[in-house]
Amino acid sequence: MAMATLDTAQPISLKGGRLARGNLTRARIRWLMLALGLIFLVVCGRLVQLGAVIADTAIEGVERDVITASRPPILDRNGLELAVDIRVPSLYAEPRRIVDVEEAAAAIHNVLPDLSIEFLRRRLSGDKGFVWIKRELTPSVQDAIMRAGIPGIDFITESKRFYPSGPEASHILGAVNVDNQGMAGIEQHMDREDLALLQSIGLARGQELTPVNLSIDLRVQHIMHEQLADSLKRYQAVAAAGVMLDIKTGEVLALVSLPDFDPNDPKSALEKDSFNRVTKGIFELGSTFKTVTLAAALDSGKVSINDRFDARYGVRFGRFTIDDFHGKHTIMSVSDIYKYSSNIGTIKIMQALGKDEFRAFLTRVGFDKRVPFELPEMRSPSVPAKFSEVVAATASFGHGLSVSPLHMAVAVAAFVNDGNYITPTIYHRSVEDAKKLYVPVITQKTSADIRYLMRLNALEGSGSRMNKEADGYRVGGKTGTAEKVVAGRYANGTNLNVFASAFPLDNPRYTMVILVDEPKAENAQSGTTAGWNAGEVTGRIVQRIAPMLGIAPDFSEALDTGLVPPELR
Amino acid sequence: MMRVINAILMVTSVLVLIAVYLLKFSVEDTAARKSGLQAKIERQTAELSLLKADWALLNQPGHVGPVITRHAEVLELAPIKQVQFGSFTGLPMRPAPAEPDIEALDQLFESLDSGVDPAGAPLGGN
Repeated sequence: MAMATLDTAQPISLKGGRLARGNLTRARIRWLMLALGLIFLVVCGRLVQLGAVIADTAIEGVERDVITASRPPILDRNGLELAVDIRVPSLYAEPRRIVDVEEAAAAIHNVLPDLSIEFLRRRLSGDKGFVWIKRELTPSVQDAIMRAGIPGIDFITESKRFYPSGPEASHILGAVNVDNQGMAGIEQHMDREDLALLQSIGLARGQELTPVNLSIDLRVQHIMHEQLADSLKRYQAVAAAGVMLDIKTGEVLALVSLPDFDPNDPKSALEKDSFNRVTKGIFELGSTFKTVTLAAALDSGKVSINDRFDARYGVRFGRFTIDDFHGKHTIMSVSDIYKYSSNIGTIKIMQALGKDEFRAFLTRVGFDKRVPFELPEMRSPSVPAKFSEVVAATASFGHGLSVSPLHMAVAVAAFVNDGNYITPTIYHRSVEDAKKLYVPVITQKTSADIRYLMRLNALEGSGSRMNKEADGYRVGGKTGTAEKVVAGRYANGTNLNVFASAFPLDNPRYTMVILVDEPKAENAQSGTTAGWNAGEVTGRIVQRIAPMLGIAPDFSEALDTGLVPPELR
Repeated sequence: MMRVINAILMVTSVLVLIAVYLLKFSVEDTAARKSGLQAKIERQTAELSLLKADWALLNQPGHVGPVITRHAEVLELAPIKQVQFGSFTGLPMRPAPAEPDIEALDQLFESLDSGVDPAGAPLGGN
């Protein structure tokens, strides 16, 4: 102001004064620029700082994305749901935002009385950013808690796995844990394959995933489960299991193992006795093995279907004599040996083949290693690497070596499918795709002979009780009654009974292995050998499922006589 | 001149200010609506997934089976037996048609020719 008055009073402008004023302005501008520059630096610095912050989205150590990850629905071959995701609310709290811990704890306790006040108080106090209170609630509980209006408490929508079929397909499906990761069965297999990859790159988040189609037929699975559960009651058995394959494609149509568990309650999967007996159990499968021995012998050409063997006397190995259960003690034809399940005859047939050839055949049908199959619950079979005379003799009728029921099912499938071995699968597979994977293990002629023998055994032999139930569906099969090893020796009276079958034998399509563990006689008149339990169960299952699978009953005898090999007609 | 420009700038800045605030509020409003819709979608997906699960449960053979056994007596249901299946080849051929009654036909034609319609006779009797 003094300057201005000076200007008006003295209109003489001094060079020095203008210079001084100019200098002052320049200095001010410089200061201003400096200040602005500093402010900008601060802003930039803050931006860089914010950019470098890694937001902690983890919830108690688990990524939020993983928790809300979804899994594809699992469908059976006809599109029925075996496993679906349901979206459920989960309750969490942010303790640092909670105003009144006591009030919040009381309010939550009102809605969820199973959570104790003490637990809630501990959970809600503190300075954490996130704690779970209870996961996987129902919408009505969510509404009730919302109405309570507690600050610092909120919901996340999680995916929860639900298995509508309950325990029916438990061993196929397996289970998932609370974070939706597969723990067993096909769920675990899917995680190992590509689902884990999908989830890790963030593609399986909440949105709909393409359903996975299994080869299981839920109707067949239901019938098998129902009939096996019935067999546990009927024969007071300790366990039962069954598997059914499509022989043309290797698809598993049903797989049941009892006792089982409820996949909706994953804890029950850990019970010791509920393991998958079809894939993870290995057993001495008894006389069902005679089918394998005969297939090996007939295929080698050293034994033909109209050969006869001397089965009059037991076979002696040092101190031991192996004798027949259904003792006929005559000279028997190959078909009689199979029909009457003669141990002596089978040993003679195996000896005609040669023990090393027999052992090599077991390798050929895959009894040396695990069955290549998707389920993670598998166990290696126990077959001696080299057969001595005695071991080969007992192995010929299914003792002294253990394989899983799935091994037997796959082998029988190959025997009736013109000798073409196909690895089983739990996923969909077309006949064309399967044909590319065929491995011939026996000739078509031998396959025809085996079909004849299996049908003969159902008509006249140990499978006749089965055939009575499933009359008209041309089922054939072989029984196996193996004494169980209890405390190191074969125990009389505790049997493991097996029935390995195929149908309809005039145009074979399906094969089934049923196993009943330690059955008792149903009533005073009935027996305890496999024909009475495993056989009858097989018959009842076929009787129910054959119409579903489009197989019409046919009682004409021409179908059975058509199976008889030309040299026996 | 300068004053006019200043006034215009002043008015413009006030207008822009109002516009920016309006935009801000509308964006906030849209965001609120979006999160509302998202919550609704989430709720409906959850409901839908529950309904689907319900449908799957009710559609299971394991669920339908017991219902059938429960009402088997009233509805007279029983598992199908093999003998209940038939095939086209199992059907008997249609019986051969009977020989036409030539005498009766002749009689009919004759009476028609002579103008008497036997079909009308019962009516005529009325």
